[in-house]
Amino acid sequence: MTFEDIFESIEVISHFKEGSLKPLRFKWNGRVYKVRQMNGHWVSHQGYNKQYHFSVISDSSDYFELLFDSSDFEWQVARVCLGG
Amino acid sequence: MQTGKFQRLILHIDADAFFASVEQGFNPLLRGKPVIVGGRENQRGVVHTASYEARACGIYTGMALGQVRSQCPEAVFLKGNYEHYRAVSRVFQEVYLRYTPAVEFTSLDDAYLDMTGAQHLYPSPEWVAKAITTEVFAKTGVGLSVGIGSSKLIARIASGLKKPRGMVHVPAGEERSFLAGLPVDVLPGIGRGAKDKLTDLHIFKVKELAALPRIVLEQLFGKNGVKLWELANGYDERPVQRRIIPGQISRETSFEEDTGDITIIKGALQYLTERIAKKLREQDLAGRTLSVKIRYSDFRRNAKSRSLNSPTNNGSEMYHQAFQLFEEICLRRIRLRHVGVSISNIEPLNYQSFLFNDKSRQEALNRAVDDIRDRFGFMAMLPADNLELKRKYRMEPHGYILHNPALTR
Repeated sequence: MTFEDIFESIEVISHFKEGSLKPLRFKWNGRVYKVRQMNGHWVSHQGYNKQYHFSVISDSSDYFELLFDSSDFEWQVARVCLGG
Repeated sequence: MQTGKFQRLILHIDADAFFASVEQGFNPLLRGKPVIVGGRENQRGVVHTASYEARACGIYTGMALGQVRSQCPEAVFLKGNYEHYRAVSRVFQEVYLRYTPAVEFTSLDDAYLDMTGAQHLYPSPEWVAKAITTEVFAKTGVGLSVGIGSSKLIARIASGLKKPRGMVHVPAGEERSFLAGLPVDVLPGIGRGAKDKLTDLHIFKVKELAALPRIVLEQLFGKNGVKLWELANGYDERPVQRRIIPGQISRETSFEEDTGDITIIKGALQYLTERIAKKLREQDLAGRTLSVKIRYSDFRRNAKSRSLNSPTNNGSEMYHQAFQLFEEICLRRIRLRHVGVSISNIEPLNYQSFLFNDKSRQEALNRAVDDIRDRFGFMAMLPADNLELKRKYRMEPHGYILHNPALTR
């Protein structure tokens, strides 16, 4: 099992509710992944801006770390797990 | 042992294999697997944290990454992410501070809680420990070990006895008997040298150390001997301090590959001193003694320190001194694999002493730079030499991701 840093922009369908944010589906490398399980999330601060990190398991049972940057409202795949 | 009116009650809380536990807590695929935080297996460097599963295979902190695979074929290697660990540490802090305001955070993953004034609010210290560990585990997946005692010494030793996820309570009055059977190196201040000295005297257990006359320890270890005698006898009146002034702040990095490129080395030295200066200014501190250390590609080391005329937290002043020191010690024509800068003799900033000198302009400039960095991130403003590092390292708004991301801050 190895982890790869990716940091590629992606399209995400997400849910905002009562001040919290949750990714639901995302498209990476031409494939749509559904978020099956949210393992946890954390916030890192970049000056006044925040980066929201989400550790998720997709419907394909792959692990992803997704990142939402509040400075430009962009989503990225930050890290993936290769092999299992 | 407490001699005052109120019996002190101190909790020491320590996260178990912190970096590895965070990774396992946030990724179910890693749970139950031997996890190594520190870098890739084919990368140079050492294990920073090994999960308990990895420790069971004989992996330990400081082991060369290249050796791990042969002992633990199933190991999962992770570079780590300091920002993630810091975010998790903030969750710890929020939880601890709900139980008592008197919390001393000694690092990202361990802290002392002084419950003396708050114990009447809760059924028992064990109840508090259980509530905290349960909440932290639910929020982060990280297990905590807790030591409960009447002093920082007792609480700290107790927290290390039943890892992982253990709790040890040493009731007041039982400090001596608790310490008696433990090996001498559980006491802070007993390193390898001191332990060897005591071994020569056939002193292996704390009770044997405690039985020595105080003056013998004073003769053996000087001023530290007195402190050691007190600790061995269970006397520790050190308060839980909400703000601690660090003895030293250091930043260091190994290069991705050995280098003799002076622009990269200067860039690294300047970047490291800038990070130290920022840390000092954040806490209204200044340091007086600057040290630089280097390690050559053949692993030989060299280091040198110098005391400055007055304490400083100015990055450019520190960098010029650091570079001078570097030129004085880097005499061999061999490439470098590692550089480090540290500042010690740290003291609170004393504005009064700077009233009548030319530092005010520089201080105003530093304040402006800090304001910009607070708003846009550390990398919003950098000395130009730092940009040389861009050739080698990934740049994020909060800083370069140096050789060991687990420690990049």
